[in-house]
Amino acid sequence: MIRKKIITSSFFLCMFVATSFAQEIPDSSLLNKVKDKAKEKLNISGTMGITYEGYGLSRKPSGWTGYQPRRPWNQVRFNFTPTFKFSKNFSLPFNFNFAAIPTNFAGPYAGIKKPTFGQFITNPMNSFGLNPKYKWAELQLGTQYLKYSELSTGDIGVFGIGFDLRPKTFLFKFFTGVSQQGINYVAGPPVVTGAYKRRNWMAQIGTEKEGKYLFALNFAKGKDVPTSAAPPPLTIRPQEGIVISLVSDLYLEKGFYFKAEGAQSTFTKDLATPLSPNIKSLKPFIEAHTSTLTDYAGQLAVGKKGKNLDLGVMIKYLGAGFQTIGYPFLQSDRLDYTLNTRINAWKNKMNIVASLGQRVNNVKNTALRAKQFIGNLNWFTQFSESFSLNVNYNNFGFQTASGLNPFGIKNVSNDLGINPTFTFTGKKIIHLLSLSYNYSKYDERDVMTGLTTSNNTHTGVLTYVPTYLEKEISPDFSVLYFYNNVPGAKITLATLSAALSMQAAKKKMRLRGQLQYTLGKLNSFNSNNNLIASCNIDFKLTKKLTWATFLTTNYFKYGNEITPNGANYVETGCRTGFQYRFDTKKQK
Amino acid sequence: MKKLISTAIAIFIVATAMAQGIKFNLIVNAQPPAQLSEWGNRREVLMLIVTGQPGAPGGDQFKIKTEIKTTDGTIIASADLAKTPVFTLNSTGAPTILLANDVMPLEFMVFTGKYKTSLERTGKLPAGNYIICARPVTITDYIPLGEEQCKNFYLASTQLPILMKPYNEEVLDAKKAQTAIIFRWSPVVPTQPSPVTYRIQVFEVLPTQSPVQALRSNQPLLDKEVLAATQFIWQPQLSFLPYDEETKKLPTFIWTIQSLDASHNPVTQTDGSGEGRSEPIIFFVNPDKNKIPKKTN
Repeated sequence: MIRKKIITSSFFLCMFVATSFAQEIPDSSLLNKVKDKAKEKLNISGTMGITYEGYGLSRKPSGWTGYQPRRPWNQVRFNFTPTFKFSKNFSLPFNFNFAAIPTNFAGPYAGIKKPTFGQFITNPMNSFGLNPKYKWAELQLGTQYLKYSELSTGDIGVFGIGFDLRPKTFLFKFFTGVSQQGINYVAGPPVVTGAYKRRNWMAQIGTEKEGKYLFALNFAKGKDVPTSAAPPPLTIRPQEGIVISLVSDLYLEKGFYFKAEGAQSTFTKDLATPLSPNIKSLKPFIEAHTSTLTDYAGQLAVGKKGKNLDLGVMIKYLGAGFQTIGYPFLQSDRLDYTLNTRINAWKNKMNIVASLGQRVNNVKNTALRAKQFIGNLNWFTQFSESFSLNVNYNNFGFQTASGLNPFGIKNVSNDLGINPTFTFTGKKIIHLLSLSYNYSKYDERDVMTGLTTSNNTHTGVLTYVPTYLEKEISPDFSVLYFYNNVPGAKITLATLSAALSMQAAKKKMRLRGQLQYTLGKLNSFNSNNNLIASCNIDFKLTKKLTWATFLTTNYFKYGNEITPNGANYVETGCRTGFQYRFDTKKQK
Repeated sequence: MKKLISTAIAIFIVATAMAQGIKFNLIVNAQPPAQLSEWGNRREVLMLIVTGQPGAPGGDQFKIKTEIKTTDGTIIASADLAKTPVFTLNSTGAPTILLANDVMPLEFMVFTGKYKTSLERTGKLPAGNYIICARPVTITDYIPLGEEQCKNFYLASTQLPILMKPYNEEVLDAKKAQTAIIFRWSPVVPTQPSPVTYRIQVFEVLPTQSPVQALRSNQPLLDKEVLAATQFIWQPQLSFLPYDEETKKLPTFIWTIQSLDASHNPVTQTDGSGEGRSEPIIFFVNPDKNKIPKKTN
């Protein structure tokens, strides 16, 4: 019911506003003159649109469910993001982005199908933000994704109210609201994981001069309401956490920079655990339970940025008990250090980007300390107008003891890629030929036997792109060969693909079509077949109104590697939508 | 000296008499959750079964004296008996079942030295082997009501996988990516008693979304469970949208691994989001290598 109402009301809202903007105002009466004058002061710019997404899946033989749908059958998305500028100092931006059907699979809203109004507006798939701003004062209303710093808050959208004040070089920020509503656990199917209602508070006080320095004290708190879900989630605990951080950025002359942040978190992992006199509380902000932890984190980046050379060192430490509500997926208990560089040489014809570092996990527990080596290199050289070469190498190594087993864990991943590109220029056509070869090796040690198994992958791609200088068509063709070999399994894939893009209808329409066929083989089973076709049509209906459509279909037929033999499926997808861009200032 | 001997004899007699009245059995999981506060949420972690007939010498009430030791016998934690709860024998003679919160109430356990610091900062003890010992005692003078029972256990903080490939913000060539994308991650550490199921999920990040917002909102394009392996080759069977001339944004994806135990529950429910999900990372697919795209969303 809510969904229908939202779709209907939003559709009419979009149409109404679109019509209003599209209307021309007769300029004969005094009233219209007044309107014109007001219009001169009021400038409205932004976009709004509506997009429909459809998905279809047909599986054979009937009743076979070996392939699952991966998009919602139907979805309608709306965006409405105008900025009303009343004067030089007063603006009112809107940020409304929302969808009609909930499709949450991870996080607090996972599995929810019939949300209440409160759940709808706080669902991360929807944003309803309004940020009126007068000179240095901004009021923040509705959904806001506020990033205060790397260690305090930044990944979570909160629906609420707050402000961002920046008089001269000072910063005063505060925001409070709800990042998730209480959601009851449902055993299903479909299962709804459930969540506790979470209230959030955040504040920042500091001083900043853009491009010069930033010095700020951050505070972020979140607290779950344990009674907000009935039945409560089975595996999620009601939590409370607070983080206080001090951040300092300094940008010096000649490209030198220094960035540092130190933070302390006090986090209760389970509010249902008893209060504990043995653990220090941070009253009045948080009272300690037996599951309350207090730990620290810090990061430091120092370096120099230049036209032809960047060099920087980054160190990040997250204590084992460091946890913040603002970054729910942060993996703590680690120490990272990396050296990054970028070099431009040979009159910008050579470009090298490299990083080298190590990540240490389980820093506190030396018995199970895990080390991960990280090395990346990308080296591009334009030897001549007709020949360039790109080489890249990545190495990730992971090593740790494995607990009670006789051998430790050791996984090493190595990737080497070589990509030469040749360009031949003719009178009417430019030929681009690109060859790419990638060798990927992944070694894994068995913790019981100590034996290492190697997983080797070879990928080769040949791409040909002719560019016609006097025609409006741009085709491209490619051939790919992929071979993966691991004890017990060999996968071979061969792909042919062709694409064509062109303009039509006096350059108002942009078309692109692609066809791709892949022949796959697993061990000695019969080959499987995959055919993908897609088409893009972007049509500029007027100067401001565009209609974009993307159609795709995917047919896959298994060999005899699964039961039932010859099983197959067809996926179809459609995404079509109108976008209206407006700017009353430019309209005149 | 005489007094001391007579007191010792008296204690022995009472203890022997009580031992006949109260019987108990301590059951402890050999590899319980590293987060000690989590023990109370899981019935299978620790159980003390107390049986006895009411009216036994010493009364029907008792407390539990609990100690945690290292393997060399050093006591690192002990229950503050002045504060621990009092239990009463079941009047019907049926066994009384005490769980972790009763036997080892963390709010009344006194930890020492580095173990105290570790517990306050991480909620865990340093990884290693420990011994937990428990026995019922009288409620006033804490005279033992039977022999101490001890059980060994191994504590190790569970580390979720680290995502290795595609690495964070890697730009993949669309020609290769549309045929196959290789995903690699590190295994759960330490090795779990039963093989871990790794649930790999890949989400498309729409132009109006931040990566984590997409992960929390969208239906995954890939949602596959892989048993005990740390690599997966995905044939996306997707047509990636072409390079957007206006927004100059590349098709963006965010991926993560959810680690599940044999019962299909997250291997750790106390770290991060509580869903056993590794820190997600993003990758891009570049349909046109000749364009210089804007990576950020």
